[in-house]
Amino acid sequence: MRILVVEDEKKVASFLKKGLEEEYYAVDCAYDGEEALFMVEANDYDLMILDIMLPKVDGLEVLKGVRDKGLTIPVLMVTAKDSVEDVVRGLDAGGDDYLTKPFIFAELLARVRALLRRKEREPAGELRVADLVLDPVTHMVRRGEQEIELTAKEYALLEYLMRHANRVVTRTMISEHVWDYHFDPMTNVIDVYVNHLRKKIDPDSAQRLIHTIRGVGYVLQDRG
Amino acid sequence: MILFKTIKFKMTLWYVVILGIILSCFSLFLYFTLADSLYKGVDNKIRTMAEIVVSSARSPFGGGAGIADLDQVMTERFGVRPLGRFIQILDESGRIGDRSTNLRDVQIPISVQTLKAASRGATTFETVQVMGKYSLRVVTMPIQENGKMAGVVQVGSSLEGVEEALQQLLLILLIAVPAALLVASAGGLFLANKVLKPVDAITQIARRIGSGDLSQRIRIKRVNDELGRLAATFNEMIAKLEKSFRQVKRFTADASHELKTPLTILRGEVEVGLKRKRGLKEYQRILGSNLEEIGRMSRIVEGLLTLSRADMGELTMEREELELSAIAREVWEDLQMLAKEKRIQLKFMDNGFTKVEGDPLLLRQLILNITENGLKYTRAGGEVALKVKGDRDQGMVRLFVTDTGVGIPQKDLKRIFDRFFRVDTARSRETGGTGLGLSISQWIAHAHEGRIAVESKVGKGSTFTVTLPMKD
Repeated sequence: MRILVVEDEKKVASFLKKGLEEEYYAVDCAYDGEEALFMVEANDYDLMILDIMLPKVDGLEVLKGVRDKGLTIPVLMVTAKDSVEDVVRGLDAGGDDYLTKPFIFAELLARVRALLRRKEREPAGELRVADLVLDPVTHMVRRGEQEIELTAKEYALLEYLMRHANRVVTRTMISEHVWDYHFDPMTNVIDVYVNHLRKKIDPDSAQRLIHTIRGVGYVLQDRG
Repeated sequence: MILFKTIKFKMTLWYVVILGIILSCFSLFLYFTLADSLYKGVDNKIRTMAEIVVSSARSPFGGGAGIADLDQVMTERFGVRPLGRFIQILDESGRIGDRSTNLRDVQIPISVQTLKAASRGATTFETVQVMGKYSLRVVTMPIQENGKMAGVVQVGSSLEGVEEALQQLLLILLIAVPAALLVASAGGLFLANKVLKPVDAITQIARRIGSGDLSQRIRIKRVNDELGRLAATFNEMIAKLEKSFRQVKRFTADASHELKTPLTILRGEVEVGLKRKRGLKEYQRILGSNLEEIGRMSRIVEGLLTLSRADMGELTMEREELELSAIAREVWEDLQMLAKEKRIQLKFMDNGFTKVEGDPLLLRQLILNITENGLKYTRAGGEVALKVKGDRDQGMVRLFVTDTGVGIPQKDLKRIFDRFFRVDTARSRETGGTGLGLSISQWIAHAHEGRIAVESKVGKGSTFTVTLPMKD
């Protein structure tokens, strides 16, 4: 899952990026409204965390711009303005959720998870395909009774595949949602990661879940 | 009842009471003057008639041999028989001699006292009741012959007409005065209502304003009357209140925002930092950053405290004679290190007599604030000049701080001294600014009866000028 953090206060942006990355999200930062509008159009983000008081283009303007372009990306607003009018204005401009500063990081993470879940219309709790289980809160992954250790990127890749289970995901989709801005799409990094992941979750003995669609991408599917 | 306590009611009451007193006085005066004049008229008429009768009684034609036929005398004299006048002639002992025909069986009474007075030659007027019912005004006049009383003439006139007229008048007054008062009170209430209606409107608006809606204004119809002026004054007051409320609200919002940002950083960095085990370097970085934010918060709190004390007039200020150039030189020396670090040339010049009266610590802070500000917004290789100049002719000491920095856009110049106003929010934060320095500087200048002004060109630099009164 790839997130755009729009925040003019560098230190806030920096700890948000760090904290979110440690939760296996791919994170990009924009430091003003103009940059945010450009980036949200150029890349396919799964969620935007948006500060309201921004230089150049105000956060509410960014939100209007995003909605005017027909983008349905979930937006979590984070701002020091906490009057009821501000909250109402923010939500009416197209925001999906609202957090006031100073916020508790754990709460921010929970709201991010909730927004992503809602985006995919998924029920809360674990993701499940056949006997493969992924818990987005604890980041625990199991195949049957067997617990599986994954690296951050492998986890993010698996989560993305599981959220799009039974649908073909292209390499471009993977690169856009699992990697951040600095990813070089010309490399075969994705294939390498998919192979690592396959070795861990599809041991020889078990039924295979990750399938390659030649020339297109991959699909996670229970073909039992 | 609330009604009885309203000005409307009191005004009407006063009005009616005063009008009542005036009308009553007028009525009494009218009644008694008229009564007096009517009675006097009757008296004059009967006296005249009595005189005629007396003279005719004495006349050689009718006199001597008793009294001639009165009716005839009257007819001769007046052409008509006097109606409603009763004439009676008595001899010196009080026996009735002759009487006018209309008296017939009635007789005008005469008292011993009156008779005695007549014998002394005096004329008496009296009112008597005839047949117990009708009032009769009677004049008793002696007929004198050779200095002796020969008889008495009594002329009476009925007071019926007079009394009827007076009764009529009394009736009219008794009906008319209360009626007039009733109409007057209704009219008074109407007028008071009309006059006081704008006051009610003002009260209603004031109540709405009291409940927190300061955008309300009174609609003024007539500008130049008393209530129009009251409403205008009231509106002005509300406008001022609204403005200062808005300022306070914005200031509070700004202050909370300013404090929330470092709090967010502190809380977020610590929370993310504690989520897992990290290396020593990482902990050091987090703690260092936290320390920075704590410093920023303390500076904001300190600045806010200074300003709020200044606002409340609680900041005690020393007043001593001092050389402004000496303080400026100290600041210049203190900031040399910082300037060198940023590779900015910091210059100092002073010229002439720069004695002012004031608080050395506050003035030092003022100079430090604007000089540091200059250093903050000037790039490496630039120059900041600190210049103190005395002007004896104008009695002013001026301090100029000129930088070759980024400059301030024209539209922001007016707001540069506003609390928490920043031309470039991000840059100011990075350089550790609180957004309060220039507000405090302005307050210090004003507290010393001085001014602070700024001129600037984007890309060229800015000049802050502080003007203080010179101490002779």
